[in-house]
Amino acid sequence: MRHRFTLLILASLLVARAAAAAEEIPLHGFVQAASAYRLIQPDRCPRTQRLACREEFVLGEGRARLELTPRGEWWGLVAKGELIGDAVGGEVDGDLREGYLDLRFPAVDLRLGRQIITWGVGDLIFINDVFPKDWVAFISGLPVEYLKKGSDGLSATGHWAGTSLQVVLVPRFEADTLPEAGGRLRFNDPMAALESRKTDDPSPALERTEAGLRLFRNVAGWDLSLYAYRGFHRAPAGEVEPGPRLRLFFPPLNVYGWSAQGAALGGVVSLEAGYYDSRRDRSGRNAAVENSRGKYLVGYQRELAPDLTLGLQYAGDVMEDHDAYRATRGSGMATRPTIRHVLTARLTQLLWNQTLRLGLFVLGSPNEGDFYVNPEVKYNVTDALWAALGVNLFGGPRRAEFGQFEGNSNLYAVVRYAF
Amino acid sequence: MMPGAALSLRRASWVALGASLAVLVPGAPVGAQPSAEEIMGKAHLAMFYRGEDMRARVTMRLVSRDGKERVRELTMSRRDLQDGGEQRYFIYFHRPPDVRDMTFLVWKYPGKDDDRWLYVPALKLVRRIAASDKRSSFAGSDFSYEDVSGREPEEDTHKLLREEKVGERPASVVESVPKDPASVDFSRKVSWIDKATWLPLKEEYYDRRGELARVFTAEELKEIQGFWTVTKRVMKNVKTGHWSESVMAEVRYNQKLSPDLFSERALRAPPAELSR
Repeated sequence: MRHRFTLLILASLLVARAAAAAEEIPLHGFVQAASAYRLIQPDRCPRTQRLACREEFVLGEGRARLELTPRGEWWGLVAKGELIGDAVGGEVDGDLREGYLDLRFPAVDLRLGRQIITWGVGDLIFINDVFPKDWVAFISGLPVEYLKKGSDGLSATGHWAGTSLQVVLVPRFEADTLPEAGGRLRFNDPMAALESRKTDDPSPALERTEAGLRLFRNVAGWDLSLYAYRGFHRAPAGEVEPGPRLRLFFPPLNVYGWSAQGAALGGVVSLEAGYYDSRRDRSGRNAAVENSRGKYLVGYQRELAPDLTLGLQYAGDVMEDHDAYRATRGSGMATRPTIRHVLTARLTQLLWNQTLRLGLFVLGSPNEGDFYVNPEVKYNVTDALWAALGVNLFGGPRRAEFGQFEGNSNLYAVVRYAF
Repeated sequence: MMPGAALSLRRASWVALGASLAVLVPGAPVGAQPSAEEIMGKAHLAMFYRGEDMRARVTMRLVSRDGKERVRELTMSRRDLQDGGEQRYFIYFHRPPDVRDMTFLVWKYPGKDDDRWLYVPALKLVRRIAASDKRSSFAGSDFSYEDVSGREPEEDTHKLLREEKVGERPASVVESVPKDPASVDFSRKVSWIDKATWLPLKEEYYDRRGELARVFTAEELKEIQGFWTVTKRVMKNVKTGHWSESVMAEVRYNQKLSPDLFSERALRAPPAELSR
């Protein structure tokens, strides 16, 4: 159904293009082939992850993207559709990556439709960026733009005397895409014995409209933002129902935070903090639902030499009511620490007139011991053609955030021809 | 009025007056020989501060030694807050495809690092760019950020070497040596400044070993709305054989560009006229 819908979109994009050829409506896109070979074969295999244990390739697919972006003085239309041929799963699918209408008024910008929204200043550390993400695409070695998913909603941004206020309303909840039972990726599944599962979307309908606010202003060269969000956890909580059956649901969540970014110490300094108010578990005694948390990050980015850039980050994630959380854990269950510390480093070297990029990203938690390492070589063969080769290496304790993905560590290659 | 105030006022307007005189009467003989500092000050204004604002469509060809060619096409808008002082740049990239629709905003301050922002449309992300090294390549070309937006004359000491013709045009030849050698990749620069327009006709950059590293040439000069403009320029990397040509078309001065263009709002949603 979804597949047919997107084919229809792609077809209408082509028809619109043909009809509008004389009008010079811009049509762009690309074709892309991507493949990722699993480097670490899992040693033991839960029943819910049989496919993930069998499959040598984490990723093997071709994509065709069409982008139609007509624009006028006070309006704009953006339609980006993709047709995906998945060789590993033997499926063809379609996806509307973005599809929205922009309306521009003197002091207000409106955007209506499926849109990608990015908040916050972290590099792969998300605090106030509460919008949906596709972690499966990220782990599988697709280009990082696929980590972001669209939200179906309305964004209105007002601008007054250098201050901007963005209001986001999303009536249709979109969860993060995470490795799940029966999928191609390995992950830590505490309920591995339970094969019977069902997922409930947030309800009722009126209450499930998510709302976000961002207040932005540049003060003396510093970008300052305040954020507020009322919605839901993007990752599901699990509860065992009679049957037994695992019921997955998305508990309500409020987030309040701020960020600041500016030039300092010969580079760029980033600061961000946020408070996650887990509305269904304010006491911390609910075993299924995440406790409230405080998150913060400090980042520093500097150009060490021409075309050589280093970025460093430290981030912390503090759990509230840790005692209550510990009390909910049965004997033999892993217990997370009160604070999760994370350090990251990103080194980027551009060579050959910026046509060759050598990148290294390292993320590790000194107290939980899990890590993620991503070296990548990307070469722009011509202006239209690029190729990237890299490794996604996950490791550490099996129950930690990145350690659980060890069995998905992969060598990936992506080739894209754009027009 | 106090004599001191009158004097400093006169000194302040001298550069601007001299520059505009030179534009009004190209090739007019200048009474007193200007000093090397004065020449480079005027050249800086003539090259990077003409008009209150400026917009142009820029096509850059990046050519490697073996003839492999890449093309960058962008629309550059510039607005001056004061002559020789603070400036803002807004750049919209038309191609190649992997940078199409990207926007780049620079707030340039004299004597202090720029503020730079890059907008990545695929991620809807405004990214702050570290700007400590102004010698980094601009968009992969042989032009550095400083070549595009100017290097403050006060950062170098200048010496008038001789007078010489570049083609048919009489020029002053000035040698500039960085006051802080560690801050830049060149040990000295020799500039041929056109006596009629104050525009640099040619520049030679010597590396730290004293060897010729890069050569700039102004290939085409045009008078646009009364302002002489280098509409075609080439930077050649003598060491690698790689060279870049930058051609400016649709150059327009004093369009009363709105300050709102140089903001986060425009980064995320550039005005429609830029994307054509």
